[in-house]
Amino acid sequence: MRGPMRPGLLAPGWAGASSSKDQRARLMSTTFDKVAEIIAETCDIPRENIKPESHAINDLEIDSLDFLDIAFAIDKAFGIKLPLEQWTQEVNDGKATTDQYFVLKNLCERIDELIAAKGA
Amino acid sequence: MRLEYFQMIDRFVAVDVGGRVARAICTVPLQSTVFEGHFPGYPLMPGVLLIECMAQTTGWLVSALTGFTGLPALAGVKEGKIRNAVFPGDELEFEGKVIHEGSGYAVGEAKGWCKGAVICDATLTYRIVPYPSAELRAGLWEWAERINFPAKEFAK
Repeated sequence: MRGPMRPGLLAPGWAGASSSKDQRARLMSTTFDKVAEIIAETCDIPRENIKPESHAINDLEIDSLDFLDIAFAIDKAFGIKLPLEQWTQEVNDGKATTDQYFVLKNLCERIDELIAAKGA
Repeated sequence: MRLEYFQMIDRFVAVDVGGRVARAICTVPLQSTVFEGHFPGYPLMPGVLLIECMAQTTGWLVSALTGFTGLPALAGVKEGKIRNAVFPGDELEFEGKVIHEGSGYAVGEAKGWCKGAVICDATLTYRIVPYPSAELRAGLWEWAERINFPAKEFAK
C-alpha cells in the first residue's frame, strides 16, 4: 500500500504543471541562495544584507580582490568559469554596465546561463 | 638563489604543465646583506622570502598554463605557514600546484622542504595582468633558460 505523498520526497527536477517561468525562478532562487552564502562567508557580510537587488561593488562594497575569492568559490561550487576578463573588457569598452554582471540577480542569471551552456 | 635580484629559483627539476605541478630548487646564499640585518649575529632566512620562493615556483607554472599571455601577480596568500627555520647555505625544494585556472586569475597550492622536512606551505592567488612592458616579456626566455623552465614550449 502506498502512503501519502510527501512534498519532500519529490525529485528535485519534478516540475508538475508549473510553467518554465516558475522553473526559472526556482533555479534562480537556488543559485542566489548559494551565491549569497558564498559572499557572506568570503567577505564576512551578514547574510540578511545580501539581496537579489544588491550590487556587489556599489552596495556590498566588495573590492576586486575579494571578488576573485568569490569567483573562485562560484567556479568551484557550480563547475563553471565566470568570464571575468570578458566582462571587464565589455564594461571598459562601454558595451555593458556593471549592473549587468554585479547586481546579484543578474550575476545569478549569468551563472544559470553558464551552467545551461555546460550541460548543452 | 639571486637574493639581491629577488630571483629565488636556481633551477626547475620537474615541470608537468598538463599535470599542473612543478618542482624547483632554491639554495640560500651563504652571504647576503639581508643576513646582516636579519639578524645581526643570527643570520636567518626571512619567512616572507620563503613565501616568495613558493610564489615564484607556482607563478612560472601559472605562466605556462596561461601561455605566457600575462604576468601572474601575487594577489593573495592564505593559510601561509612557516614551519621551520632556514639558514644560509640550506638547499630548499619547492613544489607548486595550480588547483584552479579562472578567467584572469589562478589559484595554487605550494609547499617547501629543507632536508626532507616541510618548512612552509600556502594557498596562493594570482591575478593575471597584461605584461606592463615588452622588455619584461622579452627577458623571460633568457631567465627561463637559466632556471631550466621550458617556457618557449608553452608561449602563445
